[in-house]
Amino acid sequence: MSEATEIIRFERVSKQYPGVLANDCVSLSVRQGEVFALVGENGAGKSTLMNLLYGLQAPTSGEIFIKGRKTGPQHSPQAAMRMGVSMVHQHFKLVPGFTVAQNVLLGMEPRRGPFYDQRRAQERVRELSEEYGLKVNPSDVARDLSVGLQQRVEILKALRTGADVLVLDEPTAVLTPQETEELFEVIRRVVARRGMTVILITHKLPEVMRVSDRVGVMRRGRLERVLETAQTSEREIASLMVGREVLFDELRTAQPAGETVLEVSSLRAYNDRMLPALRGVSLSVRAGEIVGVCGVEGNGQTELAECVAGMRAPSGGQVRLSGRDVTGQSPRAIRRAGLSYIPEDRMSMGMDAKASVWENLLLGKQRDGAFCLGGIHLRRGRVRRYAKELSRAYDIRLSDVDEPAGALSGGNMQKVVVAREFSFDSPALLVCQPTRGVDIGATEFIHRHILQKRNQGCAVLLISADLDELFRLSDRLVTLFEGEVTGCFDAGSISREEIGYYMTGNREVKAP
Amino acid sequence: MTGFWQALRALARLKPNQRLTRDYLASLALAVLLAFAVGAAVMLLCGHDPLASYAALFDGALGRPRAIGNTLAKTVTLCLTGLAMSLAAKAGVFNVGGEGQLYLGAMAAAVVGARLDASAWVVTLASLAAAMLAGGLYAFLPGVMKVRWKVDEVITTIMLNSVAIYFCSYLANGPLKTAERGIATGTDSILPQAAFSSLIPLSNLTTAVFYAAAAALVIWYLMSRSRVGFEMKLTGENDRFARYGGISTGRLMLWAMVMSGAVCGLVGMLEIFGLHKRFLTTVSSEFYFDGMLVAMIMRYQPLGVILMSFFFAALDIGGKSMELSAGVSSELILIVQSIIIFFMAAEGGVRKALGERALRRAGRRRA
Repeated sequence: MSEATEIIRFERVSKQYPGVLANDCVSLSVRQGEVFALVGENGAGKSTLMNLLYGLQAPTSGEIFIKGRKTGPQHSPQAAMRMGVSMVHQHFKLVPGFTVAQNVLLGMEPRRGPFYDQRRAQERVRELSEEYGLKVNPSDVARDLSVGLQQRVEILKALRTGADVLVLDEPTAVLTPQETEELFEVIRRVVARRGMTVILITHKLPEVMRVSDRVGVMRRGRLERVLETAQTSEREIASLMVGREVLFDELRTAQPAGETVLEVSSLRAYNDRMLPALRGVSLSVRAGEIVGVCGVEGNGQTELAECVAGMRAPSGGQVRLSGRDVTGQSPRAIRRAGLSYIPEDRMSMGMDAKASVWENLLLGKQRDGAFCLGGIHLRRGRVRRYAKELSRAYDIRLSDVDEPAGALSGGNMQKVVVAREFSFDSPALLVCQPTRGVDIGATEFIHRHILQKRNQGCAVLLISADLDELFRLSDRLVTLFEGEVTGCFDAGSISREEIGYYMTGNREVKAP
Repeated sequence: MTGFWQALRALARLKPNQRLTRDYLASLALAVLLAFAVGAAVMLLCGHDPLASYAALFDGALGRPRAIGNTLAKTVTLCLTGLAMSLAAKAGVFNVGGEGQLYLGAMAAAVVGARLDASAWVVTLASLAAAMLAGGLYAFLPGVMKVRWKVDEVITTIMLNSVAIYFCSYLANGPLKTAERGIATGTDSILPQAAFSSLIPLSNLTTAVFYAAAAALVIWYLMSRSRVGFEMKLTGENDRFARYGGISTGRLMLWAMVMSGAVCGLVGMLEIFGLHKRFLTTVSSEFYFDGMLVAMIMRYQPLGVILMSFFFAALDIGGKSMELSAGVSSELILIVQSIIIFFMAAEGGVRKALGERALRRAGRRRA
């Protein structure tokens, strides 16, 4: 290494899972004191590579060096930590009822005699927090913290052993724009102050451009290229990721919106824990427009969607579909009234993973004369043919329509849901988290289909946690905070920062 | 009650509606072979010749026309009860109350068969309808409680078994007890011409087998080929998805339960009109629980249930004959059956462990 010392080196590392080569002969070196972004589509092998580094799995072949020392066959997370590598996973693992101090020092609590020494623990955490410039209050209880703060606690926990390499797995997936900004501040600070090395797994390209020094692009288990961030562009990274040129074209065309199709007024509902989740939400969607609902997850989006679709009984208010009151009706009645619905929870609501692809594509049409004789006999031959056609039209990659839907990849599963729901030609469309966990190629495809529906005069209510997606697709944006609408905007007239401001509880119009 | 507890335990392990994969069938065959091997070992320990005993078993089950007749008659009972269980399980409801539904069906058939003054055909068909109605209505009760108030149907159906069995016992001992001499507990005998006639002399096989075959065919069609079967399958596998997709899951579960009960009622009627010609409290000895086991081993797949019923029936009938001719206790057959069930209940875990070991070994070889 010329300009900086190398801290981690992968040498021809491969990892074979049954039937899948997750990492294919990856050679990579990471320099001390840099922010290295590892990008790639779902299943490209980025998480696998980091799991190998962190000792969660063993490579099938190849060697990994940490600070020049080779990791042994007995490599484990404990060993990785001893060698100075820490990892923060996508899903937080905090104990909700513990304080920040207890969480950070879990498993290495200071003691006085047989007892937990609270004072020393809090002091230790305060020191840590000052040392790294990560502000937390050691006596706060984890469950009361915002997602951003919880993540900060996780990072502190990872740093408590004095790590000098920090791996962050999709750290911004659940953060608001402000929280993301703060996280980047933290990253820059630990790098500058402590000379730490940060490896960032992500598939959000704007973030890569903003925070990283170098970027490694993975595709199908291979490391395609390592680039200096300053000398590349989002477009170049994106095309390396998918192996072809991605069209970041303007898919939207201006078009006047029609009559109101879906109307929600002062909707109230409780969540599963019987706490109020919706406190009088009102919004409307006209034919030929996409209304995007933004908000940090858990502010009533799920309940809103379920109430509109009939999966949850509202406790008050009204839902009108094409002029008809459908409040509290069964999902079946609401479907008949003209709603198609892509649920956020693909595996538990959007599909039956055990059933075949054709069965998943058929649901909702099983009474149609085309597929059912006299309401009794299922014409399986026809259904299969139809499923094949639909799979072709929606580019669902499968070996056979008899294959269980659960065997497909995430993107293809979502395409099954999209294909089914879009094939009803309903006047209203409820779309939730349509591209969560879906790779760039499939995202592109799904976005195009949503816009196509809009251009055909469909009223689309889009609920998403992905601001890029919302800005890209929506004509109007509505912000939701703690079950209330805090603002409603034309998508063209507002910036991300402003949206973030309303997503966190500030109101569009303050009462005088 | 051993069958009952075995059934419940297996119930907790096996998931409904899994496909019968080739792997699964292979492990089933292996389980059967292992069970026979263990049976042979036990015989050797007890000083019997396993080969001769198994020959006696086979001969007793299928060696003579009469043996075949008895095996087929037993198959009918096992298969229909197994299909009844599968029908409900397909839609995600567990009918553990088939025994009670069977008793009520038998009682209804016996009463109509004895009291109705009409031609033989009419009596047979009316009894059949009455039995299915009785069984179906008795399943309706736990079904409604499940769908309306989310009362766990496993508990209610188990409880309702005792209610039905003792109620029928009361009727057969009290208000409906026959005046005929020589019958301790039982109702009046049914119209003789309306009863099923024997197909193989001296065996239990009667024309009931045709009714059973028709019922099995209908159930197979319903479960595997019809629109309702498709909706039931999705409801059983993922009821949230089914409801989301516009299926009235509650109504479907209720219907599945009622149909399951009706089939159990039919089994009761076939027993009465084929074998006993009147209601006797011994009309069933936990037939439904045996059927449940068969259904669970075959993962509620109708064709599998039919084939497995034949196998278990052959074991049962052959075992009794083996006891007589080779002197081997028929309890041995219980051992064999239990081992098959044991291996199949453990199948998922065992296969996973084996697979992981193979993977680890492969990994080590490469490293």
